[in-house]
Amino acid sequence: MRDIIVGELTQAAQEIFRDFAHLLPRLIVMLVIVFVGWLIAYIIRAILRSILQFAKFDRLSERAGASQLLTHAALPTPTELVSRFVFWIAWIGFIMLGISVLGIGGLQEHVERFFFFLPRLFVALLILFFGLLVASFFARAVLLASVNANFPSPRLLSISARTIIIIFVLSMVSEELGVADQTVLLAFGIAFGAVMLGLSIAFGIGGKDLAQQFLENRFLRERRMEKEDEPSPL
Amino acid sequence: MADESILSDDFIRQLIDVGEVDILVGVPTHNDAKTVEPAIRAIQEGIVKTFPRERAVILNADGGSNDGTPDVIMGASIDELHRSFNGYTLRTLHAISTRYGNNPSSAAALRTILAAAELLRAKACTVICPESANIEAEGVANLLRPIYREHFDFVAPIYRRHKFEGVLLTNLLYPMTRALFGQRVREPYASEFAFSGRLGSQFLNRHQWSEEFKDYDPELELTVTALSDGCRVCQTFLGTRSPTKRQARDLVDAMRQTVGVLFSALDGTFAMWSGKTASQPVPTNGPEFELSVDPLRVNRKQLKEMFSAGVIELESVLKSILTSGTLSELQQLAKAAEDEFRFHAELWVKSVYEFAASYHKAVMSRDHIVQALVPLYRGRMFTFLVENRTASAAEVGKNIESLCLEFERLKPYLLELWNGRK
Amino acid sequence: MPETQDALWYKNAVFYQVHVRAFYDSNGDGVGDFQGLAQKLDYLRDLGINAIWLMPFFPSPLRDDGYDIADYRSVHPLYGTLQDFKDFLAAAHERQLRVVMEMVLNHTSDQHAWFQESRSSRDNPRRNWYVWSETDTPYRSARIIFIDTEMSNWAWDPISKEHYWHRFFSHQPDLNYDNPAVREEMWDVMKFWLNMGVDGFRLDAVPYLIEREGTSCENLPETHIVIKELRAKLDREYPGRMLLAEANQWPADLRPYFGTGDEFHMAFHFPLMPRMFMGLKLEDRKPITEILAQTPEIPASCQWALFLRNHDELTLEMVTDMERDYMYDSYARDKTMRLNLGIRRRLAPLLEHDRRRIELMNGMLMSLPGTPIIYYGDEIGMGDNVNLGDRNGVRTPMQWNGSWNGGFSNADPESLYFPLIQNPVYGYQAVNVLSQKRSEHSLLSWMQHMIRLRRSTPLFGSGSIEFLYPKNHRVLAYVRQQGDQAILVVNNLSSSAQAVELDLRRYKGKILIEMFGGNLFPRIGDLPYLLTMGPYQFYWFKLRRI
Repeated sequence: MRDIIVGELTQAAQEIFRDFAHLLPRLIVMLVIVFVGWLIAYIIRAILRSILQFAKFDRLSERAGASQLLTHAALPTPTELVSRFVFWIAWIGFIMLGISVLGIGGLQEHVERFFFFLPRLFVALLILFFGLLVASFFARAVLLASVNANFPSPRLLSISARTIIIIFVLSMVSEELGVADQTVLLAFGIAFGAVMLGLSIAFGIGGKDLAQQFLENRFLRERRMEKEDEPSPL
Repeated sequence: MADESILSDDFIRQLIDVGEVDILVGVPTHNDAKTVEPAIRAIQEGIVKTFPRERAVILNADGGSNDGTPDVIMGASIDELHRSFNGYTLRTLHAISTRYGNNPSSAAALRTILAAAELLRAKACTVICPESANIEAEGVANLLRPIYREHFDFVAPIYRRHKFEGVLLTNLLYPMTRALFGQRVREPYASEFAFSGRLGSQFLNRHQWSEEFKDYDPELELTVTALSDGCRVCQTFLGTRSPTKRQARDLVDAMRQTVGVLFSALDGTFAMWSGKTASQPVPTNGPEFELSVDPLRVNRKQLKEMFSAGVIELESVLKSILTSGTLSELQQLAKAAEDEFRFHAELWVKSVYEFAASYHKAVMSRDHIVQALVPLYRGRMFTFLVENRTASAAEVGKNIESLCLEFERLKPYLLELWNGRK
Repeated sequence: MPETQDALWYKNAVFYQVHVRAFYDSNGDGVGDFQGLAQKLDYLRDLGINAIWLMPFFPSPLRDDGYDIADYRSVHPLYGTLQDFKDFLAAAHERQLRVVMEMVLNHTSDQHAWFQESRSSRDNPRRNWYVWSETDTPYRSARIIFIDTEMSNWAWDPISKEHYWHRFFSHQPDLNYDNPAVREEMWDVMKFWLNMGVDGFRLDAVPYLIEREGTSCENLPETHIVIKELRAKLDREYPGRMLLAEANQWPADLRPYFGTGDEFHMAFHFPLMPRMFMGLKLEDRKPITEILAQTPEIPASCQWALFLRNHDELTLEMVTDMERDYMYDSYARDKTMRLNLGIRRRLAPLLEHDRRRIELMNGMLMSLPGTPIIYYGDEIGMGDNVNLGDRNGVRTPMQWNGSWNGGFSNADPESLYFPLIQNPVYGYQAVNVLSQKRSEHSLLSWMQHMIRLRRSTPLFGSGSIEFLYPKNHRVLAYVRQQGDQAILVVNNLSSSAQAVELDLRRYKGKILIEMFGGNLFPRIGDLPYLLTMGPYQFYWFKLRRI
C-alpha cells in the first residue's frame, strides 16, 4: 500500500517532472518569444511614431476634427494612439504565438481563432475610429449650418445627427466583428441612419446650396419681407 | 498653366486673329444680355476716346448663358463690317467671346481672361462687370490709364456707397488688409479692377486653379497678390455701383469668398505682412470714399438675436477657435440686453485675429472656422448700425478709420497668436 | 505717238512722275533739262514704265516750283527750248512712252502778261480775266489752303487799288472762268501742246475754277460745266488723249469729276494714300478698306490714279483730326517734317529705310484698282532733305551714280539748283541707279520686276475688286477679277508673322499660283484657306482652274 502510494507519487512526480521537463524548454521558448515580440513591437512603435510625426499625422487628423474627439475622450494624441494600438496588436500576436508553442491542446484552437479574428478586429476599430470622426464632423457642420440659418435648437439637431451616425457606425462595427446578428433594432437603426446620414450629408456638403435655399425658403420667408432694406455685406 | 488646355481651339483661333494687343477688357458674363449693352458701349467709348491708337480687345468669358449674351458682345466689334460704334475710330476694336463652362465661375472666368491676356501680351487689362449699368466711359478709361500710362500694376475701384452697405468690407476686409499689408485699399474685393500684364501673368501662373478651388472667387487673392508683391497699386473712383448678383449672395457664402480667401492668402504671404507696422494711403483718382446717408430700415433686432444664439449654441466650436478670455467676453456679451449690447472694436479685432490664427493652424475644418465667424459678424454689424444710426458720412468715415487703427494697433497680437501655441 | 492706239491706254499704264529740272543736266548749268531727260529715256523704258508725267516747265518766276506760270506757250529757258521739248517728245514716243504734262488752269503767276495788263487799270480789257473785288469780304466761306503762309484768299493790289482772288499763294491770282474769253484762251493753250503730240494733261487745282458767294468755292456745278466743255473739245479734236484731275477731295466729292465718262479720264485718289501709311503703322487694314468702301464706282472708261508719294507733302487734308495727329506722331515727330496739313518726306525715309515695308507699299500700289504713279527717285529709295524749305526737300537731283554730283550734272556742286542728298544712309554714294543696276536684289531691280508683272496683268488696271474680310485685321486681302480671271492679293500689314484664314469657298477647286515665283499652292477646298505670312509679306496669287 505504501509502496503503491509511494510508487504512484513517484510516478506522478516523475510525470510532473517529465511534463515539466517537457514544458520547460517550451516555456523558455515562449518567454523568449514574448520578450522578443515585445522588443519587436516596441521597435515597430518607435518607427511608426516617428513616421507619423514626420508625416504630420496629428495636423492631418486635427483638420478632420479627430483631435477634438480624442481630447474629449481624454485620449492621447492620434500619433500616440495609433502607435500604441499597433504596439499592443503586435505584442499580443507574439504572446499568442508563444502560447501556441506551449502545445496546450485547447489553447491552440483559441490562438488560431485569435489570428483569424485579428484583421476583422483591426478593420472594426478603424471603422469605429473614422466613424466617430465623421460623426463629429457632421455634427459640427449641422450645428454651424443651423445656427447660421437661424434654425431652432441647433444643438439638438447636431446631437441627433451625431447619434444617428454613431448608431450606424456601431452597427457596422458589430457586423464586422460578427458579434450581433441582424436584430430588428439594428436593421431599423441602419435604415434610419442611412436616411439621416443622407440628409445630413445633403445639409453638410452635397446639396448645401439647395438645402440652404430650402431652409431659407422655409424659415426666412417672413423675414425677407421685412428685411427688404438689408444692405449687402459687400 | 495646367497641362490640359483651358482654351478651346476656336478661342485660340480668335486670339490668333486678334494678335498682340495693348489693352484687354475682360467681361465675365452669365445671362446678362439685358444689361450688358450699356456696359459694352461704355467700354467702347472709353477705349476709343482715351486709347484711340492702342490695339484693344473686348474679351467675353461666358459661363453658359442661354440668352445670347455672347452675341451681343461679339456684335460690338468695330471694324469695316461692324459699325456699332457711333463715331470715328482709327483702328479695329476686336470683340471676342468664349465659353469656359456651363456654370458661372468667377475663377474660371478670370483664368480665361488672364490666359488670353498673357497670350495676347496685353499691357493693361481690366475686368468690367456686365451688370454695371452705371459704368461710364470715363470709368473704364480711369481704370486703364494708370496701368497703361503711369505704370501702375493694380487699380482697385472706389464706389459711392450707402453707409450701411458693405459692412463686411468696412469692418473686416478693408481694415484687416490695410493693417496687414500696409496699403489702404478700400475695396479689396471688387468686381471691377485693372491690372498690368505682368501682375496678370504672375497671378495666372501662381494661383491654384485646380477643381477644388473652382468655386472660390479669386479677386481678393489678386488684390492680396498685388499688395504682397510690392506692386504699384492705386484706386480710382467709379461712382455709384448698381447692385450685382454677387452682392445678393447669402452671408455665409459671402464670408467664404472673402474672409475665407483672405485668411488662406495669409499663409503664403506671412514673410511679407509680418514685417509691416503701419499703413500708407494709396494714390487715388477721385474721392477717397463717398457715403450716402439716406435713412435705411434694417432689422437690427434679428442680428443681435442671431449673434447671441450663435455664441451660445456654438460654444463647443468656438472653444477650439478662440482664447478662453475672448470666448468668455463674448459669452458675457451674448447675455447683454439689446440696449446695453456693444460689440466694441477691440473685442471684434481680437476675435477676428484669433479666427485668422486658428484658420492658419487649421484647428478644425477651415470651412467650419469661416462659418463660425458668421454669428460674430452679425453682432459686430449690429453694433456698427447702432453706433452710426444718426451719424453723418464724415462721422461714419471717422469711425471706420478708428476701427482700422485698432486693427493696426492689435497686429502684434495676431503675430503672437500666429506662431504660438494657444 | 506710241504705236498702240488703244484709247484706254491709261488704264493699264504705269506712270513715272518727274521734274525735268531734277532728272539730268546735259549742259552743266546745275539744272536738269529736256536734252538731259531725253538722254535718260532708256533708263525709264528699262524700268518698265510707259507714261511720263512732267511737272511744269513753263517760264515762271519759280516761286511755286513752276506752278506759277508766266507764259503758257513756251519752255523755261533753264530747261531748254521749245525745240528741245519737241525732240524729247519724239524720243519718248519712239520708245513707246507717253508724255503727260502739267497744265495749271486755275491761276497764273502775277508775272504773267495777262495779270500785268489786268492790274494796270480797272478798265483794262483783261481786267475781268481775273477776279477782282473792292473789299476782301466776298467768298468768306472758302477755306485757306496754304494756312502756313497765307492769311486770306484776297490780296491787295496797290496798283489798281483793289483786291484780287487767289486760292493758293498771293502771287498766284486766280483766272476768272466766268469769262468766256478766258476759257477760249485756255483751250487754245492746250491745243498748242496737243498739236505738238502731248498725250494728256494733268490739270492742277481743278475744284477751284469758279467762285460763288455763300459756297466753299470748291467743286461747284459751274466748274463741271467748264470741264465738260474742255473734254468735249478734246474728244472731238484729239481722240486718245487723256485728262488727269488733281483735286484733293473726298472720294464722294471727287466722283462728279468723272461725270458720266465725259469729264476727266483719271483723277488722283488722295484719301487713299495717307490711309495706306496709316494702315501700315496701325497694323490694321481698317483705314484702307474703309476708304475704299467709301469710294464710289466710276465709269468704265475712267481710272483712279494711285500714288505713294509725289512732289507735294504727304497730304493730310482728307483725314480726320485724330488720324492727322496719329500720322504726325508716327511719321513726322520732328515738326520740321510737317508742312501745311501734311508731311514733306519721301517714301524711303517715311518707311524708315525698311525694304520690306517699301516693297509691301509698292505691292499694294500696284495691285489696288487704279493706275500707279511712281515718283522719281522712289524706285531706288532716295531720301529727302528737310532742311530745304517748303516741299523742296523731296525735289533734290536724281542720284545716278556715286561720282561727281551723283552723276546728275557736271556743274560745280554749289551751282546745283538744290544740293544732292549726301548723308551716309540716303546719300548718292549709297543710293544710286548705277549700283542698284548691278545687283539683282536691289530695290531698283525688284521694282523693274514688279512693274513688268503689273503691266503684264491688265486685270490689275481694269478688274473689279472684292475685299475678303479675314478675322485677322492685320491682313489686307482682296480678289481682283475680270471675266474668268481672278487674282488673290494678300498683304500682311504687321511687323510680325501672322496666320490668316481666308474664306475662299467661292473659288473652291481652284489652284493658287504664286505670281512672283510661279509656284503652286494647295487647291482651295471647303475649309478656310490657311496662309502664314512673314512680317510685311505680301502674296499675289493667280486663281486657276485646272
